[in-house]
Amino acid sequence: MSRLLKIFILTIALAFAGRTASVAQTNKYKCMIQMSNYMGDGAYIVISLIDSKGAYEKTLYVLGSDKKWYNSLKEWNKFYKAKPANISAITGASVTGGDRSVNVIEIETSKIDAGYKIRFESAVEDKKYNVSDVEIPLTTESLGAKTDGTGYIRYVRFSAN
Amino acid sequence: MTISVWRYSHLALAVSSFLLLTLLSVTGIILAFEPVTQKTQSYRADGFSQVTLAQSLPALRKAYPDISELTVDANQFVKIKATDADGKNLNAYVNPLTGKVLGLPKKESEFFETVKSLHRSLFMHETGRAVIGITAFLLMLITTSGIVLIVQRQRGVKRFFKRIVRDSFAQYYHVVLGRISLIPILIIALSGTYLSLARFNFFDTKKESVKVDFDNIKSTPERKPTEIEIFKNTKLSEVESIEFPFSEDVEDYYTIKLNDREVAVNQITGDILSEVKYPKAVVYSNLSLDLHTGRTNMIWALVLAVAAANILFFIYSGFAMTIKRRANRVGNKFKADECRFIILVGSENGSTYRFAKAVHQQLLKQGQKSFITELNNYAVFSKAEHLIVITATYGIGDAPTNASKFASLLKKHPQMQPVHYSVLGFGSHAYPDFCQFAFEANNLLSQQAWAKPLVDIHTVNDRSPQEFELWAEAWSQQSGIMIDALPVLKIVEKHKLTAFKVSSNTASGAAEGTFSVRLKTKRRQKVTSGDLLAIYPANDHRERLYSIGVVNNEVQLSVRLHENGLGSGFLNRLAVGEYMRARIVQNEHFHFPAKSPEVVMISNGTGIAPFLGMISQNQRNVPCHLYCGFRESASVNGYQAVLDEGKASGKLMHLNIALSREGQKQYVSDLIARDADFMANILSAKGTIMICGSLAMQKDVMDVLDGICEAKTGKGISFYQSHNQILTDCY
Repeated sequence: MSRLLKIFILTIALAFAGRTASVAQTNKYKCMIQMSNYMGDGAYIVISLIDSKGAYEKTLYVLGSDKKWYNSLKEWNKFYKAKPANISAITGASVTGGDRSVNVIEIETSKIDAGYKIRFESAVEDKKYNVSDVEIPLTTESLGAKTDGTGYIRYVRFSAN
Repeated sequence: MTISVWRYSHLALAVSSFLLLTLLSVTGIILAFEPVTQKTQSYRADGFSQVTLAQSLPALRKAYPDISELTVDANQFVKIKATDADGKNLNAYVNPLTGKVLGLPKKESEFFETVKSLHRSLFMHETGRAVIGITAFLLMLITTSGIVLIVQRQRGVKRFFKRIVRDSFAQYYHVVLGRISLIPILIIALSGTYLSLARFNFFDTKKESVKVDFDNIKSTPERKPTEIEIFKNTKLSEVESIEFPFSEDVEDYYTIKLNDREVAVNQITGDILSEVKYPKAVVYSNLSLDLHTGRTNMIWALVLAVAAANILFFIYSGFAMTIKRRANRVGNKFKADECRFIILVGSENGSTYRFAKAVHQQLLKQGQKSFITELNNYAVFSKAEHLIVITATYGIGDAPTNASKFASLLKKHPQMQPVHYSVLGFGSHAYPDFCQFAFEANNLLSQQAWAKPLVDIHTVNDRSPQEFELWAEAWSQQSGIMIDALPVLKIVEKHKLTAFKVSSNTASGAAEGTFSVRLKTKRRQKVTSGDLLAIYPANDHRERLYSIGVVNNEVQLSVRLHENGLGSGFLNRLAVGEYMRARIVQNEHFHFPAKSPEVVMISNGTGIAPFLGMISQNQRNVPCHLYCGFRESASVNGYQAVLDEGKASGKLMHLNIALSREGQKQYVSDLIARDADFMANILSAKGTIMICGSLAMQKDVMDVLDGICEAKTGKGISFYQSHNQILTDCY
């Protein structure tokens, strides 16, 4: 009986251990995007995780909620079309020139310092599209610094949440 | 002339943009309900307008240490961005004092988003926006030209809100609603235009961001957020958004965006690190957006919806008016040079044209060659025998647009042969200058050597069928060509004849001379001096009209017997006690004036008839001065009794008689010239001059009076005619 119980408890413990192991360890970061003073409508920005080969791996956050404009973020849209994911929980409002947007994004701990990059892709209606407005290597160091953008984004800052 | 420039541009602008305006109005009405639906869900905290940043910011930061942003929207709902207890993104409407979540922002309605996109860009991005911007600008021009048109119609800015004369449903409400909704529509057009221009960077709306000098940031002295000066002095209602410091680091600061500027505030010391004022254009853009969308005020949003609905009505009624006006254009079957009858029309909005056209068609139907055209097309008409001028009056006694050149053309193109003319004026007593242009045209024609009056000038008040008929009958009688008023008026109205009993007849059996007939009405009949009696001597359509004087409650007619005269012969043969059938025609324009302080009556021959009645009916003893002309003293005898009685009772103050074939051989116009000062005084004192008799006498008297007016009162005779101070009823 006690043996049976032990097995039972062990099984459950193992099951739990297995489950915890299968759910990847994640860290939350506050990510601030400060926009430059461009003229025009709100920018659609998508934050993606890029693997070491330069391919899209995961969508981290989308700024802009109207799906009709997603095709303006050309490269990301290809990935999104190929591998549709539920992004409603990580979607926020678009940002206009001069404004700032602070959002919480989740990054798997295992991806940090593992050759991954974070890419900020931006597009504005009837204006230039930036495949890579900001691109930063996903390292502990870069997550603490400020990175300047090349398009509509003036700079990006992270801080651990 | 200017009226037509404005009207044409008003119309041209409307035609060029009505499709888009229809679309924009419909979508605009729908969009006006967006703020209305938003306002009904209230996330607005109580006492919001009093809350300062010093009260709100520390409270919110305490409740949400992670708060990154606060925005105050047009509904004055406070929305924050922060993370909740689980570290998840939180976007919510909160109470600014407690941080309590009041609601979650709903996704913007897809329906409203689609309509909005259609409204501002027709789904065509930049091109669409440019088209819409131009349409907004056109609407602005339409509104402006509309304002000018109303001012001109109402004759003066001060009379802008005075009563509007009603012609038709479309016209009346186009003007009435135009006056009311003109301001909101102008605001819609202006703000819409401004927003489009701002969108295309015509104005400097570039906001500079605050620039902070990080080398000079101090971390002392530390101040509590509740004590920071700018927080205490700034109300949440003035704020557009606040960016909270990204971290606790002293280099991270508050960015407060107000309506007109952006301020960076040190989070520890409360120092103002930097302040940037927005360009004025940003403030105007926001104001335009508030005004154009009604997002800040539900009532204004509803006003905008009504104004947009009005635009739809204007499009409908404007085109209804235009189509009606166009329909009045008529073609001519014959060339002007081959026609006996020339109809000249002065019409501003086409309603007068309808009558003229009907007359024209009547003539054509009878095989007559008739030509109809505008008064401005007056020229030499080589075969013309009859000229019919049918005209309205516009503005302050001005000529209608299509008659403005008539006066100068008349001087330039005298007709080669004698032509009979008749003037019919259309107008409304609602305006003080009733039919003034018609009177002017009539006076101008009477001065032409070639022009012979066929019938006296007639006027039609408010398109009265009776008054039109009066002219049609008079003209038919004189020209020998029947104009049937009934088809013209499209009114089937059978004349009801009344029986009259002859109570006396002074006919002597002589072959010529004048005589009086008195008639008793069988039933009570509404009749007064100056009205006309229509008789049908042959019991057919032929009608003869006689002026009535009501003496001792009897209808008295004064008649000159003509050789083979249809009417006069018939009356001459009437025996006392006999019954005859006739009808009374109300002739209001020649009734004894109700309010005049003093009245001069001028007549010749049998034209004295209505005046005898008026004197007899003058119960109030209004000072009356009779000037009458006769051939010989014997002619006066028949009237002597009534005149003597009038003088004795004070109903007649002065009697002046001119005899043309005896004694001094004077005409009545000579007496008028003699009493020039008296006539001028009567007119200046708002008295009335009434003229009844032959057209020749009328012409002479009017010439004399015109000279008197010019010399002594400084106003033309048509001024007094249009103010009902000179009344004529001649034949």
